[in-house]
Amino acid sequence: MKLKLPVSVGSSQDLTALIIEVREYSRWFAHESIKRQVDAKNASPSPVLSAGTLELLRDWKATQQITAQSLDELIQLLEDFAKNPHTMTITLAAAPNSTLKTSLVNWCRENIAPSVLVSFKINSNLLGGMVVQYGSHVFDWSFKRKILENRKNFAEVLRRV
Amino acid sequence: MMYSSFLQIALLVTFFLIGALSITAIRHAYAHFRPQDSEGERQHRMPPQPIELPNEVKELLLKSTQAKFHSILNHSAAELEYDLKTTVSKLNNRLDKLSSEIINDEMKRYRMDLDKLREQTEDNINTAQTEISEHQIELKEKINEKRIELEAELTKEMEAEKQVLVQRIDSKLSDAVASFLIETLGHNVDLGSQNAYLTAMLEEHKDEIIKGVTDET
Repeated sequence: MKLKLPVSVGSSQDLTALIIEVREYSRWFAHESIKRQVDAKNASPSPVLSAGTLELLRDWKATQQITAQSLDELIQLLEDFAKNPHTMTITLAAAPNSTLKTSLVNWCRENIAPSVLVSFKINSNLLGGMVVQYGSHVFDWSFKRKILENRKNFAEVLRRV
Repeated sequence: MMYSSFLQIALLVTFFLIGALSITAIRHAYAHFRPQDSEGERQHRMPPQPIELPNEVKELLLKSTQAKFHSILNHSAAELEYDLKTTVSKLNNRLDKLSSEIINDEMKRYRMDLDKLREQTEDNINTAQTEISEHQIELKEKINEKRIELEAELTKEMEAEKQVLVQRIDSKLSDAVASFLIETLGHNVDLGSQNAYLTAMLEEHKDEIIKGVTDET
């Protein structure tokens, strides 16, 4: 089955947190299943899950029924994915807010690969723009690079002004 | 007693002397107003008797007289010459002395005048130097004040000019940097929010990214 990661799970850290939460939920789900089988009355509350985990579980539930076994499959799938993830690194000049993060991750998953992970780095020396790295490929579209490339034109611009 | 007899004798002598003097005076007065020719005068008035001398004697007398006259004349001339020389010498000495005295006096007066003039000149020079020094000090003070004033004005003007230039440079530089950034980064750049710009850039380089990802996988 093809894994579709939630938009809020962008980086490998998010994925690790997602796996931990899903594991926790799976453990709770297994306990609750046993309690239901033995008609136990003291049901424990569901663990607090993040929006990404809830979205993943919702999507998972839409494709197949949630059982301990299917949850184990999901965990296995996530772990397999975590072992060899497609990670793209985007370096920005300033810390991105959640809207920007979501927007960029969405774009990457829609245009590059549906389950690509996007990790963000900050380097204020870039001044603006971004540097995209995928594997050994680095695409530098930072302001710094553009300014340095066009620095010879500065004198001309100055004369013109 | 003795005194009275001495006085009587003295009176008698006096009377005698007065009488003698009166007689003499009367005689003189008479002789004065009634003069009488004496025997010598009478003889003198008689016409001279011509004396006939021989020619040899006359010649001898004439020669002798001429010789004596020459001798006397020569002697007188020599004496006169000697006197003249002495007089000239004395006059020269006197004139020398006089001229020396006059020159000395004049020189002394001249020196005094010169000293006076020199002192006056020195006084004048000292006064002038003092005035010049005071004037120089005054001028220096004025120049210094003017210099300070000009320096302050110049500093102020330079500062104002500097501010204007700095503002102009800042403005120009800002314009230049803005123009440069706009030209370099493209007209869509928004330095505040980069969301749209970054997405647009990803869209622009979409093919490059996909190719890179494909190459990696």
